[in-house]
Amino acid sequence: MQKTKFPAVVVTFILCFAFWLLLTWSFAVQELIAGAVVSLAVALFTARFFIHEKAFWLCNPVKLFSGLFFWVCVFPVELVKANVDMARRCFSGCRNINPGIVKVPVDLKSDYGQAALANAITLTPGTITMEVAEEEGQTYYYIHWIDVTKPSGKEAGDAIKGTLEKGLRRVWE
Amino acid sequence: MAIRIIVDLLLVIGAVFALAGTIGVLKMPDTYSRMQASTCIATLGMLGVALGALLYAIFVMHSAGTAVKVALVAGLILATNPVGSHAIAKGAYKSGIRPEKKMEVDDLGRDLYD
Repeated sequence: MQKTKFPAVVVTFILCFAFWLLLTWSFAVQELIAGAVVSLAVALFTARFFIHEKAFWLCNPVKLFSGLFFWVCVFPVELVKANVDMARRCFSGCRNINPGIVKVPVDLKSDYGQAALANAITLTPGTITMEVAEEEGQTYYYIHWIDVTKPSGKEAGDAIKGTLEKGLRRVWE
Repeated sequence: MAIRIIVDLLLVIGAVFALAGTIGVLKMPDTYSRMQASTCIATLGMLGVALGALLYAIFVMHSAGTAVKVALVAGLILATNPVGSHAIAKGAYKSGIRPEKKMEVDDLGRDLYD
């Protein structure tokens, strides 16, 4: 268990307070003070679970904008493509499927990057990340794929997560 | 008026994808494929309806609080759904559920469980 660090507390506090403002949508002094107290308490207790690496990496504008670009432009396109594909399979009677679990190498190093990639893969219909394994310094995902067209390894990896990983690498590395 | 048409279109798109996901859940042959189909409901099905509701809250109801809450609901579903999916899929595989028709490639079983 790592110790609570000051920058982590600050960032968690800012996030909590922003959510408080969004949800209450009032700027009376009493509300602001109550929100600040609650946010500070929450931040003190949860910062060490919430932030593991550099706290202020979002202050780097390149990373911030490549992150925004990924979640607003790259990912929705992949999402819509996969959704249309899946919907077509469902409407045509669920016959043309070929499910299997492939093992795919992942090159992202950071914890957050890996978590974001696993979640992005799971959110695209047709692929679910089932397990993460590390062998000799290389991370592997076991991915359940509804339509296995490529053999395990690099090729399947490019087909499943090529675009996603490229976008995420700019954010976290 | 134009806004109402866009809102209705978004709701219809969401409903169509939710219908596709539901058909998939009912007709897919095994647990994992059913989970794949259900992702359709939680992503585009939900996003279509949420976007429609967001536009409705902003342009018809003129209520910022409602808009923020709708956006928050969409964000929370997008953030939590994959975590649940990992856990369910892994738990199902660990507890010994296998598809009736043997999977063509099954690296997880080969490497870790069988």
